Amino acid sequence: MRVLIVEDEEKMARALRAGLEAEEFSVSVAATGEEGFFLASTEDYDLVILDLMLPARDGMEVLAALRRKNLSVPVLILTSKDTIEDRVRGLDAGADDYLVKPFAFSELLARIRALLRRGKPEPSIALKLADLEMDAAGRVVARGGKELSLTAREFDLLEYLLRQPGRVVSREMLARDVWRETARYTPLDNVIDVHIAHLRRKLDEPFNKKLLHTVRGVGFVLREEPS
Amino acid sequence: MWPLRRPKRIRTRLTLYYAAMLAGVLALYFGSVSLLLFWQASNVLKGLAAEDLETVKGLLYYDDDGHVDVREDYHHHSDWKQVQERLLEILSLDGTILYRNERLGDRTIGGPIFPGEGVHGYSGRTAKMSDGTPIILISRQYDLRGQTILIRVGYSQDLIWNELRGTLLVLILASPLILAAVAYAVYATVGRALDPVSKMAHRAEQINSERLNERLPVESEEGELGHLAGVFNAMLSRIEQSFEQLKRFTADASHELRTPLAAIRSIGEVALEENATPAQYRDTIGSMLEEVNRLTAIVESLLTLSRADAGQINLQVSVFPLAALVRESAALLEVLIEDKQITFTLAGDESVGVQGDRLYIRQAVINVLHNAVKFTPPGGSISARIQCDGDSRVELSIRDTGPGIPPEQSSRVFERFVRLDESRTSVNTGSGLGLSVARWAVQANDGEIGVTSTLGTGCNFWIRLPAVGCSGHG
Repeated sequence: MRVLIVEDEEKMARALRAGLEAEEFSVSVAATGEEGFFLASTEDYDLVILDLMLPARDGMEVLAALRRKNLSVPVLILTSKDTIEDRVRGLDAGADDYLVKPFAFSELLARIRALLRRGKPEPSIALKLADLEMDAAGRVVARGGKELSLTAREFDLLEYLLRQPGRVVSREMLARDVWRETARYTPLDNVIDVHIAHLRRKLDEPFNKKLLHTVRGVGFVLREEPS
Repeated sequence: MWPLRRPKRIRTRLTLYYAAMLAGVLALYFGSVSLLLFWQASNVLKGLAAEDLETVKGLLYYDDDGHVDVREDYHHHSDWKQVQERLLEILSLDGTILYRNERLGDRTIGGPIFPGEGVHGYSGRTAKMSDGTPIILISRQYDLRGQTILIRVGYSQDLIWNELRGTLLVLILASPLILAAVAYAVYATVGRALDPVSKMAHRAEQINSERLNERLPVESEEGELGHLAGVFNAMLSRIEQSFEQLKRFTADASHELRTPLAAIRSIGEVALEENATPAQYRDTIGSMLEEVNRLTAIVESLLTLSRADAGQINLQVSVFPLAALVRESAALLEVLIEDKQITFTLAGDESVGVQGDRLYIRQAVINVLHNAVKFTPPGGSISARIQCDGDSRVELSIRDTGPGIPPEQSSRVFERFVRLDESRTSVNTGSGLGLSVARWAVQANDGEIGVTSTLGTGCNFWIRLPAVGCSGHG
C-alpha cells in the first residue's frame, strides 16, 4: 500500500512516516503543494494525506487540481481548522475524510483503514481473541467457555475493541463510534474510563491472562500480551 | 464655496444661522416700521392738505376775464411751513384745468377726474404727477357761483421721505452693528457651551487600553452634555470591565496551558537523564501524552468559547422535552453516579418542552450534572427538578449534597478556569471550563444559569430556558 504525505512541517511529516511505515505502508513525503501535486499526478498512490496549510500552493488548491485531472485517489485532509464550514469546504473540494490536528495516531490509522477498505466488502472477522469468543448477533460473549454478564454499553465497547484486535483505540474513537457523541468532552472521558474499568473487572479480573490494556496517554487495546 | 458647503464647525454654523435669522427679522421689522411711519406721515399730510383745500376754497374768485384765481394772501392763512411745497390744481368737471399754482407750473396732478372724485367729502390717495413724481393727493368738488369745480391739493411724497430719511438711515446703519454684536454673542456663547465637548474630546484622546480607568469630565449630571459624558463613562466602565476580564482570562489561560507544558518538559528531561527499560520509557511517553490530551481538551474548549464569543456558532433551534434530555444526560453519566452510590432523582413536569439547540443545551445539562457528580460525596444524592417559571420559562434545578460554595464566590464558578478552593482542585481533573461552556450554551439559547449555595449544604444549580407547554401551570 503506497501512501503520499503532503506536509510541510518536518517533524509532523517524520512522525507520520515512521508511524505509517511501522504499519507496513510504503510512504513518500512531499513538503510543498507543488511537489505533492506532481507526485500524486505522476505516480500511483493508494492514499494521499494532505495538510491544508502549505506554503505557496495550499492543500485545497492541490486537491482541486487533482480532482480536475480526474484523479480519484482517496484524499484525507489534515488541518487545524475545525469549524463545520472548513469541513464542508474540504469535503466539497473532493476530500474523502477530514481529520483535525491534533489527532490521535490510532485515529488516523483507523480512518486510513476505513478509506482503503471503502468499496470492498468488509472481511468477516471472527470475533475471537485467545479464549475470548463473541457472538455479536446473539449478544453473547464468553471467556474460557464461561459466559460474561455485560451491560449493553460494555458489550458494545468490547465488540468495538474486538473488531480491531491489537489496534489501539483512542477515547475520541470510542466517543464517536460507541457512544455516538459528536464531540469529546471531559464528562464523557470520565464515563469511558469508568466503563473500561467495569469491563476490565468482568473480562480480565477472574483470569490470569489480561486482554484489555490501557496504553497510557493514547487509549485502549485488546490484545494477547506475550507472557 | 461657502454658501453651498455647510461649515463643519457647529460653532460657526450656529453663529451664521442666528445671524441670518436675525437679518431676516430685522429686515421684516424695518420694513414694517417704514411702512407704518409712511402711512402715518401721509395721513398727517392728507389732513394738512384738507385744511389747505378749505382755505383755498375761501380764497377763490373769478377775475375780470372770468378765469378762476386764488387771492394772493392765502399763504398767510396756513401755519404749515411746508406750504411752499403745496401743489394746487383746479379743474372744471369736464377736465379743463381752470387754475394751477406757480409751483405746479405746467404739470398736472392726478390725471383725469375719476367718477365720484371729491363728490362726497375729501378723496385722498397717492398718485403721480404728469412728470412721474409720486404725490399725496386730496381733492374735493365745490360749487363756485353755480359752476362745479374740483380742487386738488397735492404734496410730493419726497416731503415724507425727507422726514423719515433720518430715522431709516439710523435703522439701516444700526443693522450691521446689531448683527455683528449678536453674531459675536452667539459665537462666544456657543463656544462656552461647547467647551465641555472639546474638554471631553481631549480627555477621550488620552484614554487608551492602559488608562481605561480614566473617565470623561462631567460638569453637571443634568443637561445633554452631562448625559452624554455619563453615557460615555458608563460605556468606558463596561469596556474596562470586559478588558479586565479578558486580561485575567489571558493570564489564567496561559497558566492553565503552562501547567501541562511544564509537566511534559520535566517528564521528558528526567526520562532522558536516566537509563530506563523500554516499559519505563513507554510509561514516560504515555504520561507526556496524557498532558498533551489535557492541553488538547483545554485548547478545544477555548476555541469553542472564543467562537461563541465571536458569535460564530449557528444554533439549530427545535422544541424538545426537557425531562427526556435530563434523563438522557443522567443515563450517560450513570456509571459515574452508580460508582459513587449517589441517588439521582428527577421530579417535575414531564411534558414541558424547551425551545433551543438541543445539542448545546444537552452539553450544558451534562456539564452541570457532571459537576454535581464530581462534588457529591459517595452515598450522597442529586435531585433534579423541572418547574415552570411563568408561562414561557422553565427552570431546571440540580441540587447536590456536596461541600457547597461560599455565597460570595457563587457567581465566579461560571468564569473560565475558576476553581474555587484547593480541596476542590484535588478532585477536579477537568479543564476548568465545563461550567463556562454550560453558561455560554444556556445564554446562547436565551436562557439564564446560576447557583445558590451556602458552604456545607451543597449547591443548587439552576438553568432557566424558554419553554413550550408551560401555560396554565403558572
